[in-house]
Amino acid sequence: MNFFDLDWHSVWNYRDMFIRGIGITLILTLSGYFGGIIFGLFLGLGKLSTKKWIYWPCKIYVDLFRGTPMLVQILLIHLAVIPTIFGHSLGYMVSGITALILNCAAYNAEIFRAGIQSIPKGQMEAARSLGLTHWQAMRKVILPQAFRRMIPPLGNEFIALLKDSSLVTVIAAPDILYASKVVAGATFRFWEPYLVAAVLYLVLTYGVTKLVAFVEKRLSTSYVPRKAKGRVAS
Amino acid sequence: MIKIKNLHKYFGKLEVLKGIDCEIKEREVVCVIGPSGSGKSTFLRCINLLEDITDGSIYIENVQVNDPKTNINTIRAEVGMVFQQFNLFPHMTVLDNITMAPKQIRGLGQAEAEALAQELLKKVGLASKAYNYPEQLSGGQQQRVAIARALAMKPKAILFDEPTSALDPEMVQEVLDVMKNLAAEGMTMIVVTHEMGFAREVGDRVIFMDGGYIVEEGKPEEIFSNPQHNRTKAFLSKVL
Repeated sequence: MNFFDLDWHSVWNYRDMFIRGIGITLILTLSGYFGGIIFGLFLGLGKLSTKKWIYWPCKIYVDLFRGTPMLVQILLIHLAVIPTIFGHSLGYMVSGITALILNCAAYNAEIFRAGIQSIPKGQMEAARSLGLTHWQAMRKVILPQAFRRMIPPLGNEFIALLKDSSLVTVIAAPDILYASKVVAGATFRFWEPYLVAAVLYLVLTYGVTKLVAFVEKRLSTSYVPRKAKGRVAS
Repeated sequence: MIKIKNLHKYFGKLEVLKGIDCEIKEREVVCVIGPSGSGKSTFLRCINLLEDITDGSIYIENVQVNDPKTNINTIRAEVGMVFQQFNLFPHMTVLDNITMAPKQIRGLGQAEAEALAQELLKKVGLASKAYNYPEQLSGGQQQRVAIARALAMKPKAILFDEPTSALDPEMVQEVLDVMKNLAAEGMTMIVVTHEMGFAREVGDRVIFMDGGYIVEEGKPEEIFSNPQHNRTKAFLSKVL
């Protein structure tokens, strides 16, 4: 096929599939990401625990999910784990979101652990010296500071997850990549549908990159709100 | 009020405190002096269990601090601490730094806590800084806020861990003045310090530590004018 002889009609005719694909990709990614943040926070805190029965399960979990391919995890969950537990498949959405949450949580756990550990020890000591419990100190003092430092790596994780969500195509989840595959299969044209998929992913990740950069700029430099900046200590 | 019996502390195999016995009475100002590495900061941090102790016992108002049945958070709420590096919470305003613990632990309402904070800020001379953030303050101002933060819990005693060691020389005095006022009001204070002038003027008692032991203790004039031990003499000849 000649590169300069592209026929966009084939893709345009399937535009509804692509639009639906964008929706599915976003739902999968957002669900996986926010689920992964909540679960990952507990895993990260677990990895900071001095209690061995908390630390080791969290560490093993993180090592397992970071050390195996996400594609394998998705297939295992969809074809083995869920059918074994429930007796039948619960559909691509449940499997896909579950796999993304479980995988994303493992990466987020490391981000949380590193972020929390980056806060100077004196902050925890000062909070504890006032009589706060460990968890109160975490919630009021450590996490609010740590979250700021986690914004860049959490943004990266979102972008990685958005791209990795395309792997759910293997369990026939109708996401962006799946739309391309269908178009390719129906029209025997390959440049157009896969280029469209690439561009759609690029647009989405670029938007997220900009958003993260904006949030980072607002939060990471100083704790002093902009309007209060003028009031400098005398 | 605070009783320390045969306190030992190891960091791994290194014995940092080698059997400390000490009693601090109510309204007493005790200054702990000594060379670096003598264990004086560790000693202070053991009192509110920021360091877990290896052996011995500590009693605060007849409650054994290192008893596993004791709720350490209740004890810590009664014993304030001021750190060398201030350790203010950078993400909170000065006001929030002070009101956070009283609201969380004492159950004070917002208005009540703010009134208390304003009053304490006035006391440390920083009434105008309530809505500033720590990073907008000088070191001396930050340390005064840290003292106000400790006071907000209405503690029975305050532990000072080298409160002026991280300050520029011209800011040392403003912090010492606040501490002097506290002492005059009758606050029980244990002060680890290198400020010999402060120890001499404000301290009721001076403890000289070296090598993990209390080498000598007594009234400031006795220690500074007529030290009994050679190590005390050697140390004082270098710092005075």
